[in-house]
Amino acid sequence: MKSLKPWKQTLIIMSLALVVFGLGCEKNLLDLTPHQSVSDEEFLKSLSDFQAAIIGAYDQLSIPDWYGRYMLLVPDVMGEDVKQNAQANRAKEWAEYNGSITTTHRIDREFWAEIYEGIHMVNRIINAEFEPSEAVRDKYNQVLGEAYAIRALAYFDLVRLFAQHYTYTPDASHPGVPIVLEFDINQKPARNTVKEVYDQIISDFEKAISLMTIDPPNAGRLSKEAAQALLSRVYLYKEDWAKAEELATAVINSGKYTLVSRDQYLTMFFPGLSSEAIFEMVYTIADNPGSNHLGGMYKSTGYGDYLPSNDLISMIDDNDIRKGLFIYDPELPGGKWGNLRVNKYPSSGAEIATDNIPVIRLSEVYLIRAEARAHLGNEAGAIEDLMTIRRRAWPEAPQVTATGQELLEEIYKERRIELCFEGHRIFDITRQKKDLVRKDCTAPVCNVPYPNDLFILPIPFEEVNVNPDIAQNPGY
Amino acid sequence: MARKMIGFLLVGLIAFPLTVLSQEGTTIKGTVKDNEGNPLPGANVIIEGTTYGAATDMNGQYSFRVPATFARGQEVQMLAKFIGFKTGSASIRLDPGEIVQDFQLEIDVIGLEEIVVVGYGTARKEELTGSIRVVRSEKMEQLPTSSFQDILQGTPGMQVVANDGAPGAGISVRVRGIGSISASNEPLYVIDGIPVISGSVSFTDFGNGGRSSNVLAALNPNDIESIVIAKDAASTAIYGSRGANGVVFITTKGGVAGSAIQWARGPKLEAKLQRGYSSFAFPNLLKGLNAQQYKELFIEGYVNSGKLSAQEAEERFQKLYPEADQTNTIWLDEITHTGITDQLDLSAQGGGDRFTYYVSASYFNQEGVIINNFFRRYSSRINLTANLTDRIKIANNLNLSYFKQRGITDGTRWQSPMYNTYLLAPVIPVFDEQGQYYAKHKSFFMGGNNPVGHLNEDKRDLEQTRIIDNFLITYNLARGLDFRATFSFDILNVDEYLYVNPRYGDGRNVGGAANESRTDIINWQVNETLNYTRSFNRVHNVDLLVGFEQQKLFTDNVEDAGEGFPHPSLKTLASAANPTLAVSLRSESAFQSFFSRANYNYANKYFVSASFRRDGSSRFGPERRWGNFWSFGLGYTLTEERWFSNRIKFFDYLKLRGSYGETGNAEIGNFPWAGLYGFNREYDGQPGAAPSQIGNPFLTWEKQQNLNIGVDFAFWNSRITGTIERYIRNSKDLLLDRPLSLTTGFREITQNVGDMRNSGWEISFEAEALRRKNFNLNINFTITTLKNKITRLPEPLQAGHFRREEGRDFYEYWLYGWAGVEPETGDPLWYTDETKTEVTNNIGKAKRFYDGKSAIPDYFGSFGLNVRYRRLSVSAQFNYQFGNYLYYNPGWVIHGDGRFTPRSTSLFAFQNRWRKPGDKALFPKFMWGGNKSSNVRSSSRYLFKGDFIRLKTLRIAYRLPDIYAFRIGAKSLEAYVFLYNFFTWVADQYLHFDPEQAPNGIYNTVTPISKTFTFGINVGL
Repeated sequence: MKSLKPWKQTLIIMSLALVVFGLGCEKNLLDLTPHQSVSDEEFLKSLSDFQAAIIGAYDQLSIPDWYGRYMLLVPDVMGEDVKQNAQANRAKEWAEYNGSITTTHRIDREFWAEIYEGIHMVNRIINAEFEPSEAVRDKYNQVLGEAYAIRALAYFDLVRLFAQHYTYTPDASHPGVPIVLEFDINQKPARNTVKEVYDQIISDFEKAISLMTIDPPNAGRLSKEAAQALLSRVYLYKEDWAKAEELATAVINSGKYTLVSRDQYLTMFFPGLSSEAIFEMVYTIADNPGSNHLGGMYKSTGYGDYLPSNDLISMIDDNDIRKGLFIYDPELPGGKWGNLRVNKYPSSGAEIATDNIPVIRLSEVYLIRAEARAHLGNEAGAIEDLMTIRRRAWPEAPQVTATGQELLEEIYKERRIELCFEGHRIFDITRQKKDLVRKDCTAPVCNVPYPNDLFILPIPFEEVNVNPDIAQNPGY
Repeated sequence: MARKMIGFLLVGLIAFPLTVLSQEGTTIKGTVKDNEGNPLPGANVIIEGTTYGAATDMNGQYSFRVPATFARGQEVQMLAKFIGFKTGSASIRLDPGEIVQDFQLEIDVIGLEEIVVVGYGTARKEELTGSIRVVRSEKMEQLPTSSFQDILQGTPGMQVVANDGAPGAGISVRVRGIGSISASNEPLYVIDGIPVISGSVSFTDFGNGGRSSNVLAALNPNDIESIVIAKDAASTAIYGSRGANGVVFITTKGGVAGSAIQWARGPKLEAKLQRGYSSFAFPNLLKGLNAQQYKELFIEGYVNSGKLSAQEAEERFQKLYPEADQTNTIWLDEITHTGITDQLDLSAQGGGDRFTYYVSASYFNQEGVIINNFFRRYSSRINLTANLTDRIKIANNLNLSYFKQRGITDGTRWQSPMYNTYLLAPVIPVFDEQGQYYAKHKSFFMGGNNPVGHLNEDKRDLEQTRIIDNFLITYNLARGLDFRATFSFDILNVDEYLYVNPRYGDGRNVGGAANESRTDIINWQVNETLNYTRSFNRVHNVDLLVGFEQQKLFTDNVEDAGEGFPHPSLKTLASAANPTLAVSLRSESAFQSFFSRANYNYANKYFVSASFRRDGSSRFGPERRWGNFWSFGLGYTLTEERWFSNRIKFFDYLKLRGSYGETGNAEIGNFPWAGLYGFNREYDGQPGAAPSQIGNPFLTWEKQQNLNIGVDFAFWNSRITGTIERYIRNSKDLLLDRPLSLTTGFREITQNVGDMRNSGWEISFEAEALRRKNFNLNINFTITTLKNKITRLPEPLQAGHFRREEGRDFYEYWLYGWAGVEPETGDPLWYTDETKTEVTNNIGKAKRFYDGKSAIPDYFGSFGLNVRYRRLSVSAQFNYQFGNYLYYNPGWVIHGDGRFTPRSTSLFAFQNRWRKPGDKALFPKFMWGGNKSSNVRSSSRYLFKGDFIRLKTLRIAYRLPDIYAFRIGAKSLEAYVFLYNFFTWVADQYLHFDPEQAPNGIYNTVTPISKTFTFGINVGL
């Protein structure tokens, strides 16, 4: 190491620098990928990706802020079949028609955000460029059909919650919700009319019906018949009686569903997947929603915020199995609150909150057809469908002989009893253009005349703040 | 030979032949003395521009052989250095044989000759154009706290606060304000040249979200030689995308740093023993009610609310609290005791001219003031350096540590002991008649939480094992030119365990619950530098550096949880009936960097420096993967100019300096730029995927443009020294979550859209007020001013008690304006708006507004003194902070005027409540169910002035005459008392919690900070 010549020294330094720097510099060091997620550019490239993505969309449908709880709770607390318990915190402002939002859990915002998130999830599936091989084409089409059906259902839920019903204006030109079919981060869409939204819903359901050819493993997944059943409901709301009747008949005649027997009626949703289930949300222990499940809103083991009202209970004959949907709870204060609780979702103990939640089932399809037939003048057919549902629960029920409006009232009454606590009530009131009248009432507001701005939810202010083109609903 | 060298470097230290020393070289020897003629042990003597030299022994003598690389008869400059003295120099001619060269050094109060650590090297403090601050080892000795970070409080420009007062808790450090909104604000920590993991890596953190654990608590403060805090661009830009929040350089004793000149020191063996006792530092903490007071309030609350008559309320009281007559539980007393701190530290340091070492072992145990809360650390360190040949040196620093921490789930959760203290009724007993922890209140009172039972029966444990090792090799290629390579790893393993019992509290509904988590982190790093330092013609001083670095970090975590424990003594997950969670997570990140720096000065008069770094990081998308960072600095020492020093005699030293540059903040998480599908979805037993993040390929690091202008000065024979600095820190492209139209399917997107400015002054003075032979008095003072302003924000953001708006301070409160209590009715009153002209008792008619009050202080700093009288020394440091406001976050519950039936409240609320018309009360009428939203969250009712002065440290030490030490076989013996956080003054008489709170000013019933009285002895062997 003694006194090296300068040039030699330089050589050493240069080669050292080269070797060391060159060795140290690992080429792909910075190209890392996440372990818990997949880049969206790498996803939706195979059938299994599509299958995972559609499961994600079903999961989205099943969250407490959509079908897991509020999609069924809010339309009922806005009606007269339930009343508030002494301390009711959740969904309180909708039960009380405050016109303002006082609770911290913003149901208006959560509906809006979560349903649009679901729409985004299925838009990605629908818009993904993918050419399936012949071997998997049917399976791919089935997933695609499910995606279209979920999108249709999502828009139907949005337009029911945030817009007045279809016949509010003669041509349904009143504001609906923005239709978003493509992803654009900068979008600030205006509202489409209710007619445009319904047209989109119908087109999506029809597309779904045409794509789906495979029977799903259970009613937890959408099928061709489920899409038909939901579309018949859409036509019912649209008052297109002929189409509603036609699709309902197609579902009933498919032979895939039978009404459950009277003995099994009370356990229809727990354990669930009964013979009449067409589409329902499936819950298992792994979902673990605890008190945030729909049943928790009614039961003492959950929040127990809402109780059944006498308006509903008094309509049900003592021999009707459906009177068994209510159970006595001695812990309730009594008096105007009474001592009955809703037990339609009866899970308890270790299996608590694993009741399935109905989206559509065969008895609703019968009642849709009954209503449509009554409007179409086929009153005998309407009565037949009505009695099928009523006598299933109450075999001794007297034969209905009413006609015209009276027959319709019988059908509406049956809808109320049969579909109670399944999230239909406020929509049935408004599409019939009736006032809300609560006789057994614990809320500050007991009468809400039709028409009313407060029958629908406000566009959440988070959307209004960001989106100058969106019009707020009047009254908020 | 060249090939051989390369091979050596690549393969490692295998069979390298030690170079045989030349027999007929030159030996230089001599003595180094101070200005009074006393020998200076440990002074360094060196041949200028080289690393050849030696340190003096106990008698101030040195001796070393000149390597054969020097030509015979060559003229060299000899330098003698010792901290606190000006460098002595002498010119000698290298002739064979022995040369004697003595030095007598002048006292240097300014410390210009101090060698300080800078990024990838060292520098003389005098040469720097940037802003740094040095904290020396004596401040770190036997600290009665788990982390050295705590002692950085009071340093100019730094805000340092413990996140909570429990032993081992995390510490927030802000250098010159808050530079980021969404990303980290914590500085980069560099130990012996290696950036290390800091903050919390905990997954459960006792339920506290990362606030209560601190991976840096692994480090034994006694091992620290010095800490350098780098604040401006000139000193941080060499760390590029990680320098934006400042850099804290930690050098361990005998540790390798910078150009790694290691000096032999006489063998020094030390044993340090300490014992301490602690209690809460703040004397004016809230107290709870006693049984009688609670009962009075219970009945009053029902009568006032009109819900029950006094008679009915009394009956209800008896029904709820059947044991009330025999019970008076003062919960604060039940959950606290005197905390005990024990420390034992053993270290040895020494070596010869070829080999130096520092080894230490220590035990630190701190029991918190809250029962069953402790931090226990075992650590050891081995720092070795060997000069293999005249050109090659290797070194290895190894730190092993293990600690166990039993923490506290605090905040405003039901388990939180400091929350329960005020809310739990004093008529609830601690134990039931069977001697079990009382739980009968679980149906009506906060889930039946029993803080004593929770602290004793439930578990909240965290164990950390950490190994930090760095291996370094230096090869002197030519005169002034060194190649250096460092290989290091940092291995962290954190095990956590939480358990809540099935009888009461949070586990009551699920039969008990447990959660276990294991986290492994490996951080490896390589850096290589070439450094050229040389002086030409005695006046041109050049220091050049180029380097390369790469780093990769792996994190693995496994977390499991279960519910349903069949037996109280079975607490591990194997016994859980119902597994609720089993996840494993993995993440990686990598950095690759090239950097360089050039320093030049002309005759120590004009200084120029520049640095550049190019960083690539896996955290950013391919579009924005690489970034450039740079700085430029200038310095001018006026007192070196004849024309100046001849005219202006006042100054002994005066230097102007300034720097400007750009750094970055890459602490924004991994893959924030990528569009992602997450797989955390499940439906009917099948796994699902959903879009989880929007892609933004242009997302990039946050930038920081720093301007720093400073003056360093000394006068009165250098007995007064100081620094004045002005800083402006512009943070650009800050990441913000911007709201989107919800119709996109997303709520927000992260974009680089915010700007913020922090600016202020830093002033520090130090004066040697008295200088006598046996008596010395030094006083010091620092002050920092801080102004924060959001300079760009596309839309206001509301965040809790704050609302961020362009043009305003980041932590400016946005609250309802409390207007006191209506004397006639006991109603709460609020101002309707910011004009404060109208009041209302209806919160619906009041608006939230800004009132010019912020959590950011106007100024803060420290002052202190050091006295030395013969063998006695006293040093004290006071820290202060003024102009900030603190928010009492649990106020809406604890001081909720009965909002939450039947929770108790504080004695202060009880004594100051409204009772009858005409009362001028601080608290409204007490009513169960609440009084007209008197307890609205985000109200100025719960805002307090944060001004405080605190005696942070007081150390009184006496060094026994050596004769006594010799008698017990020791060389030296020192006994001391050390008081920590001992005295606190606050401006606001209504402040009832500790004034030292997190930088956001929000107090959330965390464990209060303790004061500690310790005593101990240090034995030199």
